[in-house]
Amino acid sequence: MTPILNEQSVQSFVDFARQHTFVALLGVVLPILVFCVFVGYPIVYTIYLSFFDWNGMTPTKHFIGLANYVYLFHDKYFYVALVNNFKWLAVTLLFPVTVGFLIAYVMRARLVYGAAFLRTVVFFPVTMSLIAVGLMFLLILNPLFGAFDDVLRAIGLGFLVREWFGDYRIALYTLAFVSGWAFTGLPMVFYFAGLGDVPKETMDAARIEGAGHLRMMWSVALPQLRPVTAVVVMLTIFESLKAFDLVAVMTRGAPFGTTNVLGYLVYLETFWNSRFGYGATLSVAILVVSIALATLVLSRLLKGAFDV
Amino acid sequence: MSDYSAAPPPTPLAFALRTAPKVTATIIMLALAAVWLGPIILIVMTSIKSNEAFLAGPFALPTSPTLAPYFSVWASMQFGTLLANSLLYATVGSALAVLLALVPAFGLSRMEVPGKRIIFGLLLTGLMLPQQTVLIPLYDTLRALNLLDTRIGLIIVHGAYGMPAQVLILRGFMTAIPREIEKAAYLEGASDFQIFWKVMLPLSLPGILVGYTLNFIAIWKEFVFALVFLNHEANFPVTVGMLKLNSDRYMAVFNLPAAGLVISQIPIIILFILTYRQLSGGNFVGAVKG
Repeated sequence: MTPILNEQSVQSFVDFARQHTFVALLGVVLPILVFCVFVGYPIVYTIYLSFFDWNGMTPTKHFIGLANYVYLFHDKYFYVALVNNFKWLAVTLLFPVTVGFLIAYVMRARLVYGAAFLRTVVFFPVTMSLIAVGLMFLLILNPLFGAFDDVLRAIGLGFLVREWFGDYRIALYTLAFVSGWAFTGLPMVFYFAGLGDVPKETMDAARIEGAGHLRMMWSVALPQLRPVTAVVVMLTIFESLKAFDLVAVMTRGAPFGTTNVLGYLVYLETFWNSRFGYGATLSVAILVVSIALATLVLSRLLKGAFDV
Repeated sequence: MSDYSAAPPPTPLAFALRTAPKVTATIIMLALAAVWLGPIILIVMTSIKSNEAFLAGPFALPTSPTLAPYFSVWASMQFGTLLANSLLYATVGSALAVLLALVPAFGLSRMEVPGKRIIFGLLLTGLMLPQQTVLIPLYDTLRALNLLDTRIGLIIVHGAYGMPAQVLILRGFMTAIPREIEKAAYLEGASDFQIFWKVMLPLSLPGILVGYTLNFIAIWKEFVFALVFLNHEANFPVTVGMLKLNSDRYMAVFNLPAAGLVISQIPIIILFILTYRQLSGGNFVGAVKG
């Protein structure tokens, strides 16, 4: 990798700025400034704070070196939250992404009547706030008055009925599925647009060769959609790592902290327990996990899809 | 079909056989649609039930619909204030995001800006970054500037965080605008600013509207920043104010929380009806694909 700022690049920017002062100032310097103030500086400051003990109120902060990190590696709530984030990610990759792709394919291949209706219905929750979605499913999944258990019993699956939020073994999956319900429209729209770009000849050729729809999806559509899949997977990863709203409105980490996720743990430690330093350490952990996952996806799935 | 006489008129049976697979698939898809539509219908139904009707079960039709839960929850939750706040944050915050994004999008779509790759990298970082990783410093900065727990502070944060997506969306639209007009304008001696102001801005108005709408929805949904940066209920947007609905006081009978959450989504529903063709068609996807 070449250094980001060398003499040559500075010189070429100066030349550019002479010719296009307006664009250089408002189109290059301004966004970089906004980035520095709202993203760059906060990230650096978060890393800095993670070496301190600070309650967020006092003017002085105590430098404690790596103590926060040592604590982090012994914090069982951290591990629970970290694993929960990965479970959340697994559910989100399996349920909304797969279903979103299937719906998009079925609509593009014109396999059903009323596809536009389905698309609208599945996309609508994307526009809903997760707080509203969470409240909605608190009502739907309520053990006494909820509709979901009634539906299960009516179709003969009554034995599946659980305490959707009370059972510590499944509460997290309940949240992840609710999040998936609200998220499905997004992968669907991305795949729908992506499938529109797959040349019709390719699809027709495969049809004539006698490929069934499963084969078409797997061997024709998906390979062509690699860049779309990369974007969708990236979105999914960050959506899962950001998980917060549903936890805040539905369980607040209960039962026994088993539905804590990293994002919620940062909030609890920082603003409820007034441990700003440790909160920052947890933030750094989120950052490290996001960078690791993003690098993995970018190197595996996506060679050059973000090239501009 | 060029030769009508050759084809026998389709008998009902033949028609049924031909369309059977598609009908079956449609039925499966309808069941799937019910997974998404069902909960929403049930909630709307619950929200217009009286307390007594609610006890008849979630699937009992509201035989004597009433708007009483709406009036009750509107008054006790002060939804007027909450909605006004959300509306303020979403309209002004999105406007700020679009304003910040216009010139960068213009530059990136039309010129060989040095450091293009770096700028894209920064934009994608800003777009993807989990909010929790910057929460504490932003909180600290806002406090130092006396902007904590103020509407203007939250609007500034929303504007800054809306910008990256807006640049990518607007750049997508601007790239698609043919260059003939501006070439002519350049030959006439127009400056960059004049091209931007008189040619690009009017032509990219549809793109601006799409971007603005998406940002509006994003801010309407936003929760973490508002929860952390605001303390007074008078400043709360709908998302934060609504948390109170999940309490014993409101959860005793479901018609109140149901009505509350329908109220909270009404502006978005209106926006959705007005724009869903653009949104669900994936017009913004091309921009993100880069």
